[in-house]
Amino acid sequence: MSPIDPRLQEALDGERDPGELPADLREAYARLISAAELLESTPRLSVANRVMGEIRQIPAHVPPDSPVRRMIRWFGRGRAVTVRLRPVWTLALAAGLFAMLLLPWQQGSVPAPGASEGIANFVGHFPGARSVEVVGSFNNWSRGLLHLSDDDHDGIWHAAAVLPAGTHEYMFVVDGERWVPDPLAGRYVDDGFGAGQENSLLFVRPAAAQP
Amino acid sequence: MNWRRAVALTLIAGPVMAQNPSTRLPGRVPAAALPAIDSIIATAVAESLPTEPLVQKALEGSAKNVPPARLVNGVRRGLLQLRQAHVIVSHAVPGQPVPEGHVAAVAAALARGLSGPIVERLLAMAPNEPPGPALHAAADLVAHHFNPDAATDLLVEAHSKGLRGVRLLDVAVAADHELQRGGGRTPAEALAHVRAMLPNVPVPEPAVTRRGTPGS
Repeated sequence: MSPIDPRLQEALDGERDPGELPADLREAYARLISAAELLESTPRLSVANRVMGEIRQIPAHVPPDSPVRRMIRWFGRGRAVTVRLRPVWTLALAAGLFAMLLLPWQQGSVPAPGASEGIANFVGHFPGARSVEVVGSFNNWSRGLLHLSDDDHDGIWHAAAVLPAGTHEYMFVVDGERWVPDPLAGRYVDDGFGAGQENSLLFVRPAAAQP
Repeated sequence: MNWRRAVALTLIAGPVMAQNPSTRLPGRVPAAALPAIDSIIATAVAESLPTEPLVQKALEGSAKNVPPARLVNGVRRGLLQLRQAHVIVSHAVPGQPVPEGHVAAVAAALARGLSGPIVERLLAMAPNEPPGPALHAAADLVAHHFNPDAATDLLVEAHSKGLRGVRLLDVAVAADHELQRGGGRTPAEALAHVRAMLPNVPVPEPAVTRRGTPGS
């Protein structure tokens, strides 16, 4: 790069009257001034300005962070956990789990009946049935309250329930639509609706009278 | 059997049965049958008859999708049996208020085919005891083709020898077992055999499920 003429520099700095410059410098002076004016009139564009401009044009659709969202994020984020176990508590926990595994599973038991209640067992042979339930006077003839089960899929369905002592009328409902008297009931009564259908009768003995 | 279901059933049965009859039927009973059934129940209330058997009959018929006309007839038939039962109880236990439980038990026995005179004899046998077990024992014997009068004689004798409540049902079970024991035993012989063992009739073994739960 060639050094600028000191006279031209002084004229650009306003220290010398440009009219005093020789003709060639006066011409150079005029080109430089017009270039400077052109730069001032053009907006200065930078990468940062463009990026910020784009960001400002993006609509702010992200909702504010709610406490629930923060809590979910807190639970979902991986964290380092340090567990300090005392051997005595570890052994006690292991012994408890072992005892639970050894205890007989009580899923099939029914609650102990009161003095004026008894346990009724319902058993029926319905091979191929998809569902069997008991509907009767003890549940206001409501569907869906007492289902029989056939866990081993041998066609023998059974259920047990605590019922008030006394007489109850009932029927089995097979596959949700077929009303069937209990073939093992031994006691039947005409249902009174004129179609010759019979309800099964069940006499529940009070638990206090059980031998 | 899931024990939660049993608990739920036990909890549901009591409170629901205690509700007002008129609030239990709408939504369950077809709208076409509801006014007639309401009227029948109002009649029962006016005559001091128990309403629960009628409500149960209406719920039963609705659950079975019985057509409205037959449903109303079934409930009306229940009312007639309750009326007849009320007369029988009043006659058998004169001068005492008629317990609703007695009327309902007698109506159930009539529905099972017991005759009025047999029912009256059994009521007179123990006027202050719940009549259900004795009536069902008699109905069981009649259903198994025992002579009604002879069967009632046996039950009255069993009662006189101290058997009460469900033990009278054991008498009927014992007679049926004797009849089915084989050897060509007649019903009269089976009754005589049980009479000879009174009051020591055997107690039936409680039913046991595959999970070991005792039952009735």
